[in-house]
Amino acid sequence: MSGLAWGALYGLAAGLVIAIAALIGVWGERKVAGRIQMRIGPQELGPFGLLQTLADTLKLVLKEDITPAAADVRIFRIAPLIVFAPIAMSFVIIPYASGFAPLDTSVGILFFMAVPAISVIGVLLAGWSSRNTYATIGGLRAAAQMISYELPRTLSILPFVLLAGSMRPLDIMDEWRWWWIPLTFIAFIVYFISSIAEVNRGPFDLPEAESELVAGYFADYSGIRWAIFMMAEYGGMVAAALFGAVFWFGGYLHLPGALGVIMLIAVATLLAVAMIWVKWTFPRMRPDQLMGTAWKVLTPMALLQLVIVGVVIPWL
Amino acid sequence: MNLESVIFAILGIVAVSGGIVTVFARDVSRMAMGLGTFLVAVAGFFVYWGATFLGIVQLFVYIGGVLVLMIFAIMLVHRSPDGSPTIETRHDVAAIAVAGGLFFLVVTALRGAVPDSVDQGITSGPAELNEAFLGPMLTHFEMGGVLLLAVLVAVVVILGGDER
Repeated sequence: MSGLAWGALYGLAAGLVIAIAALIGVWGERKVAGRIQMRIGPQELGPFGLLQTLADTLKLVLKEDITPAAADVRIFRIAPLIVFAPIAMSFVIIPYASGFAPLDTSVGILFFMAVPAISVIGVLLAGWSSRNTYATIGGLRAAAQMISYELPRTLSILPFVLLAGSMRPLDIMDEWRWWWIPLTFIAFIVYFISSIAEVNRGPFDLPEAESELVAGYFADYSGIRWAIFMMAEYGGMVAAALFGAVFWFGGYLHLPGALGVIMLIAVATLLAVAMIWVKWTFPRMRPDQLMGTAWKVLTPMALLQLVIVGVVIPWL
Repeated sequence: MNLESVIFAILGIVAVSGGIVTVFARDVSRMAMGLGTFLVAVAGFFVYWGATFLGIVQLFVYIGGVLVLMIFAIMLVHRSPDGSPTIETRHDVAAIAVAGGLFFLVVTALRGAVPDSVDQGITSGPAELNEAFLGPMLTHFEMGGVLLLAVLVAVVVILGGDER
């Protein structure tokens, strides 16, 4: 029974972490975007406008939860949860401190790749059930994009499996050496770009391209259900940043004890800020460029990285 | 009745109800959802029996790949303004006959194949699978790879046929 209780606790913790990360993330995004565009960003509520997102959350919770008359009601209502739940699950395999990952499993790496893939179904169902051309096109684009970028993303993590000889995250952390950072640098670039595409953020936000598709697959959502989509996006971003900080930058290994955990969070925050920076710097890609990047640039890069690691390993 | 059997029962109920929805729903998108529920429950069964690797691969391939492609196809189907595509003809008798025959075949085939104790002969973790695939099963593994490569080449040839 204790296993289930711990599971429930971790689930609750992951939900809370995502909620807080989304709160801070939205504020951070608006501030960073403001600075990039030579504005100030939110500043009225609280110090540095910190309470702005809290006020927005209150607004979203109190707003009417509208279901379009033509929508497929049951699927429309459940779709945001199918998007959100797998993202929350992906947090459990990340090793946060020495010898501690909430779910310590021998297939951890694969888990992190496979479980968020379920949320593609939620995106497709949201686009489908809205009975709206914009939403349908957004859903189709999202599915094509997320499936394509899964491939380079999964390939980019394989160097660590090769180097450590294990898919258990804690084993990889035991084997981790500082020179893995330069050795796996190409894989990091592939991982970073395809993670941005995987969570549908700019410049890969074609599924929700506001200037042509209104908001894509969640165009018809309002209130709390819309907020769940946003939380899934920020949750995916935070999970990707944490995962990258752990495996590519050694996470907690550089400092002892709690300091290491703080360092992990700091590196992950830097990565998340970099993702926001990328979003507000680059223009949105064309669909053919998007697919070309995944298949003609990132996948060969990831394969090249695999070859490099494979050649290096016998000399270690 | 301990917790494990409760989890097993829940998985069974979810799998069977997913299957029932898949078979009896008229709305194609509901069918896809039922199939998804069933596939997740099957992944749950794999994990329940200790084959975590197989369970994760089940999620990756069948939920993240096959089911997404199915829903993708459903979305591209023309739909009438008042509803989603539905199954008009069912061929009930023939379907029941085929399903029953297949069930009989699978059960007869499995009766001899499944070991008495479930712990026997099941490779669970990635390390054991790795040893099996790169050891005694290497030929089978490589044959599978060659088959998949042939399939990929065939797809490219079929799809690229018009351009030449």
